[in-house]
Amino acid sequence: MSGEKLNAPSRRSFFGVAGGLAGGVAGAMVTRAQASPILPQDMSEAAEPFYGAHQAGITTPMQDSLYFASFDLAATSRQDVVALLQTWTAAAARLTAGLPAEPGMQDDNEPPLDSGEAMGLKASRLTITFGFGPDIFTLDGKDRYGLATKRPSALVDLPVFNGDQLVDGQCGGALCVQACANDPQVAFHAVRQLARLSYGAATLKWVQSGFATANKTQGTPRNLMGFKDGTMNPAGAAMEDAVWAGPEGPAWMQGGSYMVARRIRIALEHWDRMRVAFQEQTFGRQKASGAPLGGKAEFDAPDFNATDASGNYVIPETSHMRLAAPANNGGAQILRRSYSYNDGANFVAERWPPWHQGIEYDSGLFFQAYQKDPRTGFITIFDKMSKIDALNQFTTHVGSAIFACPPGVRKGGYIGQALFETA
Amino acid sequence: MMAYKTCSTLLAVSCLALAAATPVAQAQTADAGAYLATVHKHHLVTSTVPANGDQNPYAMVVAPVTAGVVQKDDLLVDNFNNRGNLQGTGSTIIDYRPSTGQTSLFATIPHNLPGCPGGVGLSTAMVMLKSGWVIVGSAPSTDGTTKTLGPGCLIVLDATGKVAGTIAGPEIADPWGNMAWIDNGGTATLFVSNAGFGIGAPGQPVQNSATVLRIGLSIPAGKPPQVTSKTVIGSGFSAQADASVFLIGPTGLTLGKDGTLYVSDAIGNRVVAIPDAAARTDSAATGTLVSKDGLLNRPLAMDMAPNGHLLVVNGLNGQVVEIDPVTGKQLGAQWIDADEAQTPPGSGDLFGLVVNPTGKGFYYVEDDVNTVVQAQ
Repeated sequence: MSGEKLNAPSRRSFFGVAGGLAGGVAGAMVTRAQASPILPQDMSEAAEPFYGAHQAGITTPMQDSLYFASFDLAATSRQDVVALLQTWTAAAARLTAGLPAEPGMQDDNEPPLDSGEAMGLKASRLTITFGFGPDIFTLDGKDRYGLATKRPSALVDLPVFNGDQLVDGQCGGALCVQACANDPQVAFHAVRQLARLSYGAATLKWVQSGFATANKTQGTPRNLMGFKDGTMNPAGAAMEDAVWAGPEGPAWMQGGSYMVARRIRIALEHWDRMRVAFQEQTFGRQKASGAPLGGKAEFDAPDFNATDASGNYVIPETSHMRLAAPANNGGAQILRRSYSYNDGANFVAERWPPWHQGIEYDSGLFFQAYQKDPRTGFITIFDKMSKIDALNQFTTHVGSAIFACPPGVRKGGYIGQALFETA
Repeated sequence: MMAYKTCSTLLAVSCLALAAATPVAQAQTADAGAYLATVHKHHLVTSTVPANGDQNPYAMVVAPVTAGVVQKDDLLVDNFNNRGNLQGTGSTIIDYRPSTGQTSLFATIPHNLPGCPGGVGLSTAMVMLKSGWVIVGSAPSTDGTTKTLGPGCLIVLDATGKVAGTIAGPEIADPWGNMAWIDNGGTATLFVSNAGFGIGAPGQPVQNSATVLRIGLSIPAGKPPQVTSKTVIGSGFSAQADASVFLIGPTGLTLGKDGTLYVSDAIGNRVVAIPDAAARTDSAATGTLVSKDGLLNRPLAMDMAPNGHLLVVNGLNGQVVEIDPVTGKQLGAQWIDADEAQTPPGSGDLFGLVVNPTGKGFYYVEDDVNTVVQAQ
């Protein structure tokens, strides 16, 4: 399937509606950058390129919706894993182009080639990003697929951070599939198809949906705490250098990136009772403008040495922004690409004074960081933050995972091919 | 810590509102001669969380000498909670070195320590003697509440953080408050509050059974301290199990130059005095009243400022209160932890406080973010 041409009917024609996807639009989207202006309607429904040196969905401008899935592998042989990745690659290429998951004409006596809920919907800038978790290399000490020696040293087991309250069912995995799109149904549809195509080889471990404002609002998106999230993201060459793995690691990961995902529950009810001025002290930024305290505009350089008349720092020592800044972490950079989530409400006991208990929103941030090496990226930055960030009084990390996202796919190839085919 | 405007309690409400516009720390005390009027700057010096994830810093001691792995003026801080934030289960002491700004782990004490009934949960009782020995209290639990409270002990550590012995017995029940002491080198006298007598599980009524115990020590050269005497010099103090904060009882002890021991009585919301604490042979019961209510709001750890005034932190807001022990007058308060995540700001955040003998202000813990702050 890996070599097929994407000449099958689009979802729209599959559904009987005239008109296909404008391939030329996809070509216009090849330049990926993290921050993006609001896209015109036709662009927001266009197709993102699937093939390329890097996987889409990492430095691609953020879409509205996220559907993330972590999988365990049930495959018993390396060949079966390769076959799964070949199937997923082919399906992902079709889905991101706005096509049904599988080609061919439907036989009504067979299960559907595509579940159909995305019929009539455009590609919606769908990206599908794959990652390999520690469990694909070894599981319970077993090297199931002969990959143990190929595990990159950068794919570390994340340390236990201060305040972690991780839930088993929201952590880890052997494979991940992340679908981002400007339509939540398109994103879910994509993961659903890939999960269906993995039957017998992989099983769902946990999932997370999310939403973001990046595609609809100008500038840096805001999280559920109302603050801009990602102002300090690197851009341009600095982003390229921070995100993509290079020759410092195994060849099969060059051009790939390491994803750290953290499901962060936020005590929104507690946060909503705080004065705006206090919220700003906690973040170290002004809420409306995003400017660092003491500054005027969002991208003003923070003055971490500025003090008031009594000698106290204008940007508090435990403020989120001060602790996260590259300048205070030896220059460490990560690319944040996080989505908010809202999974209803349930009972919770907050872990900070005054220890609220009761039914609260199960909402927060599905934080994602991409970097060339988590040891010098997320781990460096978050170790101190986990201990003294004032924001911790409102946030609790309940899910955690790390994945090696291999480089992009060339036509005719499959995701992660170099991992399986190099000596 | 957050850089907040800090104010006298009487101005607290309006001051906090002002902080929105100008988040500055500024001491405003009622009396111009107060020590707190000279304190303006609050600087975070270290996280107190060691690698094992222990939480909730309680006791602080400034090292009087260089010994073992400790340098003179290092700040030792213990932790009351474990990684899971269960109270009465913390087992670590960290060492913050002001000369380098570095923090290291000084000691990890085994949870099942022979001679320490109930286990290990390091309390606010800690001292480092000139001979290099460190003595720290344990008020232990196994489930984070006083349902499983054991009587605990005092644990003796050498200057490398190794356990050298324990001090326990019927007179000791959850040594709780910050210690006062007299250190003569070859001998020493400790003053310890015991808050665990009969308090039971949360929900039980107040017990008037807490004591202040004087412990005499002999310290032979190169050998651990030996107990030479135990004398109850204060008794009948109130203590109560508490679902949120584990227990409430007499917490702050500090010794005046005239030999008077001052005790913060958290439930009584007062500070009392036990005269002739080093020599008396009987109990002074709950002593004589020095100061009550007013700015006090569940007084906890206490130390003496260079001007001879008492500094005591409140448990139910983020203030430190200055009291003239001679007159009993409350000279003012400073909102040193105005973390609005709690109501009122800073409630439940303060506990340990120690005046820096080098003259550089005082240290205090912030339990909301597990840090030590230096105020100058």
